[in-house]
Amino acid sequence: MKTRIQSLLMLACGFALGFSGQTNAAKTTKIVIDGSTTVGPIAKAFAGYAMEKNPDVNITVSESGSGNGAKALINGACDIADMSRFMKPNEFEAAVAKGVLPVAHVVAIDGIAIIVHPSNPMAAITLDQIRDIYMGKATNWKQVSGPDKQIVVIGRDTSSGTYETFESLVMRGEKVVSGAENVGSNGQMRQRVQTTDGAIGYVGLGFIDRSVKPLKVDGIAPDMGEVATGRYPIARPLYMFTNGYPKLGTPLHAFVTLYLTPKGQEIIESIGFVPVTRY
Amino acid sequence: MQLATRKLLDRTFTGVGLLAVGLVAVALVAMLGPIITRGLGAFVFQETIEHRRFLLERFGRGDRSEIEAEWAEAQVAREAIHGRITQFESELRKLDWDQRQQYAGPLRDLKDVLHELLGPFPDEPKPVMPRDQYGPTRWDRAQVALEHVLFIEEYDYSDPTQMGKKVLIPRANQFIGTSLAPLFGELETNLDKMLLPRRTFYWRFLFDESVDAHLFGGIWPEVLGTLYLTLGAIVFAVPMGVISAIYLVEYARPESRLVGLLRTCISTLAGVPSIVFGLFGLAFFINTVHVSQSKSVLAGSLTLAILILPLIIRASEEAIRAVPATYKEAALSLGAGRWRTVVTVLLPAALPGILTGIVISMGRAAGETAPIIFTAAVSVGQPLALWEAFSQPSPALPWNIYNLCTEHEAVDAIRHVQYGMVFALLALVLMLNGLAIVLRARIAKRLRG
Repeated sequence: MKTRIQSLLMLACGFALGFSGQTNAAKTTKIVIDGSTTVGPIAKAFAGYAMEKNPDVNITVSESGSGNGAKALINGACDIADMSRFMKPNEFEAAVAKGVLPVAHVVAIDGIAIIVHPSNPMAAITLDQIRDIYMGKATNWKQVSGPDKQIVVIGRDTSSGTYETFESLVMRGEKVVSGAENVGSNGQMRQRVQTTDGAIGYVGLGFIDRSVKPLKVDGIAPDMGEVATGRYPIARPLYMFTNGYPKLGTPLHAFVTLYLTPKGQEIIESIGFVPVTRY
Repeated sequence: MQLATRKLLDRTFTGVGLLAVGLVAVALVAMLGPIITRGLGAFVFQETIEHRRFLLERFGRGDRSEIEAEWAEAQVAREAIHGRITQFESELRKLDWDQRQQYAGPLRDLKDVLHELLGPFPDEPKPVMPRDQYGPTRWDRAQVALEHVLFIEEYDYSDPTQMGKKVLIPRANQFIGTSLAPLFGELETNLDKMLLPRRTFYWRFLFDESVDAHLFGGIWPEVLGTLYLTLGAIVFAVPMGVISAIYLVEYARPESRLVGLLRTCISTLAGVPSIVFGLFGLAFFINTVHVSQSKSVLAGSLTLAILILPLIIRASEEAIRAVPATYKEAALSLGAGRWRTVVTVLLPAALPGILTGIVISMGRAAGETAPIIFTAAVSVGQPLALWEAFSQPSPALPWNIYNLCTEHEAVDAIRHVQYGMVFALLALVLMLNGLAIVLRARIAKRLRG
């Protein structure tokens, strides 16, 4: 019996060693990124690029929402907090109380596109109409000069930075109707809208694809050009927050300044966001 | 009761029982069928030359000269397409402004969808993102991309009071009478020569790192993360669980109120929703005890360990209790102490039951999502070496299945990866359960013999 148990243990150890043998040499540094699901694609793409250039770094990205990203940074649980909104005063206070000094890096500009199912004949909408729909004043598309179809309102959870931006730029203090269905990420939002005829939702620019139809807002289409010039009304910067400015020459510094390089800008454009500087 | 009625009742019960078993079987097939067939699609599929190129350039695998020859062949086949685009562009320059404007938009769209079908054109600089560097790696994705080149998906909004109806308009309609018109027919007939699809068994899907957020490569970081988390949970939970069970059965006074309370607590622990464990893990292990600075496999393992602890305690308790009292009495009568009796008689006899409990809880730990969201799991990361697992987070199968289904920016393009992950997770849990059955049978046989 003893030998059996010993051999089992040996087997387990062997497995463990075998697993680690499969991986490459130890990564000397790690960068832990947490936060916004909107900034997620940028962070993931940057991570892929940075790890290809510098295989000694292990960069992990999680997408749990801007609010959770901020909390993780405050608790020292991540190196970079992706955020699709600026930090709030109380978050700053909490951070400073814990000795964390958040520094913002604006990595890209994003517009929040109002999306509907492609079969919806609406092509344009006004900010007031969006507000009416999200307040629950308009419940049928025909009330906003659309087809006779019940509106299915899709919103975001409160940890979302996209939600906060939408709240301040579109709702302007009005409350979102309680019947709205809240989802946890941009990807989920798109999936809900692409599978529901009467749905309306909002996502970052990088999440628009063939399966949903972005509406013009106040006559302006949500595309890179209009967002870059500031004409599109629901636009916001996307941030990466670090604790203090990262030490020069570190992988962390290289990572948060990647957006300034031509390669970084190409990545951002390729994903569908607007680079901060356009050459 | 009359005999006839009794028989009737008996038969009815048998019938209902059979029906229930049948329904379960149907449900199982309906669920497992797609999981297995689609999951295998991640391993066995028609790979295009783009996939072979990717494997060669990224992982240095494959016969270089052969792939280069194939690539040259594919390039020759694509030349006609690229040639037509270049020719059309030079023709456009000769046209006047209005006509040029008429074609500018459609041409831009056409080039976009062609990029999706064939990757970058030969005269273009190499893009930074792998997703832009290669065309579709799978023939089924290539078919979808071809559909997008050949047809424009539009909606008929002729009645503004109703929802539109989907109509497919051939893209060729936009280029009638131009030199681009034959391009679409050529694409349709020659696509296989441009992409050279070939059936492949990509078993390394399990062992390859993912590239460009799962759009390419395999799922090794996830598989490894799951194995670490599961083994870690077992390492922490088994000693604690088995020792608690021994205490509860052998040492604690059964009539004691404290023990009763303890038992109730353990049962309650087993019923706590797993997300609560996740939040507890975040609040306790990471934010309070600081077992690691950030999320880490260690914190996740500890959280999972608490989750499976009641399962292990219960299973071990039952197993120890099931050992016939005569064993214990014999040992005690021979003068063995309590501890010696437990270690040399009770534990070995209870081992099959304990092991089964352990392996079943391993399956549970491998499949749990909620406890690791806040404590261990990330969307992308590299496979970790064993010592790195103490301080670093890792992707893990259950969480990444969810992440790919809901949060990923290109969900539809990577369905096969999702199915592959589900298949891998299922296979892992099935293997663990199989192991439990075999172990149990072997040990039980040994004890009897």
